[in-house]
Amino acid sequence: MGLITPLGSGVDRNWTALLKGKTGIGELTLFPTANDLFFPVGEVTESFSPEGAPRTHQLALMAAEEAVEHTKGAPDAIIMGSTTGGMSRTEVLLKDKQLDPSLFSFSYHGAGSVAEYLALKLKCKGPVITVSTACSSGGAAIAMALALLKTGKFKKILAGGAESLCRLTYFGFHSLQLIDPHGSRPLDRDRKGLTVSEGAGMLLLESKDKAIDPEAIEILGAGLGCDAYHPASPDPEGDGALSAMKEALKDAGISPSEIDYVNLHGTGTIDNDLAEAKAFNRLFDEEQPLVSSVKGAFGHTLSAAGAIEAVVSAKCVEAGMAPGSVGCHTLDPRLKLSPLKESAVALIRTVLSNAFGFGGSNASIVIGRSRETQGAASPLPVPLAVTGIACITGAGDISETLNAFAKGLNCRGLLSEKEISRPLSTRAVRRLKRLSRMGLSLATAAFENAGNHKEPGSVFFGTGWGGLSETHDFLEALYETDERFSSPTDFMGSVHNATAGRIAVKYSAKGPNITTTGGDYSFEQALMSAHLMTTETDKPVLIMGADEFHPELSGIFDASVRKAETPSDGGGALLVGRGKPGSGLKLEPLFYENANENPHVISSLVQCLGGTEKINLDFGAVFAGLPAASRIMGRKQLDLFIQTAGFNGPVIDYRRYLGEFASASAVATVLAASLLKTGEIPSTLTEKETVKLKGKGIVLLGLGNFVTAVAVSSA
Amino acid sequence: MANLIDELRIKIIDTLKLEDVSPEDMGEEDQLVGGELGLDSIDVLEMVIMIEKDYAVKIDNKELGARVFANLKTLAAYIEKTAPKGIF
Repeated sequence: MGLITPLGSGVDRNWTALLKGKTGIGELTLFPTANDLFFPVGEVTESFSPEGAPRTHQLALMAAEEAVEHTKGAPDAIIMGSTTGGMSRTEVLLKDKQLDPSLFSFSYHGAGSVAEYLALKLKCKGPVITVSTACSSGGAAIAMALALLKTGKFKKILAGGAESLCRLTYFGFHSLQLIDPHGSRPLDRDRKGLTVSEGAGMLLLESKDKAIDPEAIEILGAGLGCDAYHPASPDPEGDGALSAMKEALKDAGISPSEIDYVNLHGTGTIDNDLAEAKAFNRLFDEEQPLVSSVKGAFGHTLSAAGAIEAVVSAKCVEAGMAPGSVGCHTLDPRLKLSPLKESAVALIRTVLSNAFGFGGSNASIVIGRSRETQGAASPLPVPLAVTGIACITGAGDISETLNAFAKGLNCRGLLSEKEISRPLSTRAVRRLKRLSRMGLSLATAAFENAGNHKEPGSVFFGTGWGGLSETHDFLEALYETDERFSSPTDFMGSVHNATAGRIAVKYSAKGPNITTTGGDYSFEQALMSAHLMTTETDKPVLIMGADEFHPELSGIFDASVRKAETPSDGGGALLVGRGKPGSGLKLEPLFYENANENPHVISSLVQCLGGTEKINLDFGAVFAGLPAASRIMGRKQLDLFIQTAGFNGPVIDYRRYLGEFASASAVATVLAASLLKTGEIPSTLTEKETVKLKGKGIVLLGLGNFVTAVAVSSA
Repeated sequence: MANLIDELRIKIIDTLKLEDVSPEDMGEEDQLVGGELGLDSIDVLEMVIMIEKDYAVKIDNKELGARVFANLKTLAAYIEKTAPKGIF
């Protein structure tokens, strides 16, 4: 495990300070504020290198190095929780109007770049995934790591979260009036809000061997869920929080009475603490376990919080102690809780730790001593059976896109916002900007395409860059008003999971609500998450990918967009059933590896797809994703694949038709599904004769910095 | 005050992007938040900013906000009472 927080660097130093009841909350020194606005923050005081990667990346690396210091070899996968990525640097460049995209700094902008930076430093060749569900990101990342370990394919996964202070979150939470000017006082009667903070928590998780080490501390289970209530306020009854906690206990196979200590999300906002206390009291209606919040000590480290507190929870079990609720002086009687005010010695075998976030996205994890009941690798879940599809491109909706694509015409360009919002009411979209409109519209169309039967119960959304319009508008208004005014609506919309949260509200989708991000592979990450984190359920699962083109920001952040002749954007959505494979199509994520310093990535892909014979038997066509910025590299990978696999079917270079945007692969997946239904690839696309698929599927390859494979085939 | 109320109608529609609402739909004693307009706590915060920006009037806590944003009349009255002299 590794930790860096305002309380110090290293797990031991943090643990000692936490038990002593110290707080890391203090004065902001990291950046000047232009006006008289002042409120405390949690600031890491270690020295940072002004050169090199942004602060978040450096924080993540410090914690990761501590987490891996006693192991040999690279982790098999990295799963990070991150929301703002390199924003602390980007926002300064934007403020100073330094918009030269060749500034290397922008390659570290994306929320996904933190995990990629760790992969580079630690030489991880496996999947590198970023979960971006606002303040539950760290917890959700650990939940996903656990699911990945249970497949038995990965033995050692580095998971966690990292966040650095930046103006976006500092002024953003202020615009929502969610900051306590006196510093966070969780559970206190007079609490007024949270304290924005920074830090990183990383955990190296290893699959356990059959022999149970009685000393080992494990992630015993995880539960995800969504309030489906409001973009920035928790469900006041705590339904979502309760459901995540229950799911985590169910996953761990234990009852509430077996929980010895609950580490609350406990941000110190009036609403969070009330709702969470309600949920707590509903779950532990007979005997209450020990309970506290550590946000008065660390501040709210946002996307890192769930991971930092998972480390704290593991320490509680190891040491037989639980931390007090620093900052809580006069307990709020309305909470009906008896939290620890100071640290206490206790027999703690099992801890429940909560992390909740904007968009109503909730994650709870159970951490404890190794138990005999757990540890068997779960069988791989049944395939995802496609029931509805939708897409948006410059050509229009799915029928317009398909019409153009099948004729070999281009679908590049930007659809007007009016066109995008066509299936939505004026009232429903009044606060939504381009990406959220696109997402909500895609969800609506996919649901309609499936026959308006069962509404989705969970949402998995991949986006390379998130809500760029909101991010841009928030910062622009902030800088134009000398940091006095910025829009709370834009702040809410700037989190990557805002779109998925909106969709959840529309359909009351209270199951897992996961947004993933990682440039051109964001949709593949969402698909992988859906595959891992949904079980057999009656309610369909919505899997989507979308990105918006923003005239100022897209070209700066995305090197492929910069190379494109025509600005383009769009997205794709698939509504899938998770039960018996239906009679239609199935969707399967098959492969995800880092191509960096991984010379065998293509042979490993071919092997994963079953070798030459099976590839030609299973797949009638390849859809190749070749992002413009890594086209030469991608082309080489593709040629090697075709050669190694002896593939003789058509290869469709889909970005030529769709244009350059990070989630073009989501649209390509939808188009592949549509063509499969027709049973052939038209001559306009093969550039030769029409190719009959004869029951074979289509494999979509993501190429470039990562190599991915997704299969769409007949069930 | 009537002028201020008319002005607020337009500003609120504009700030909150209430494209399907016309100024005359907004009665001066109609419930502003949680009523037919479908406004919620985030809209209140957006209005707080607009009012601070345009009238130099701060509304920085929920209890005060609930009273001030009860309807257009209460809002206009609070602005008139609190705004620095010379703003009107």
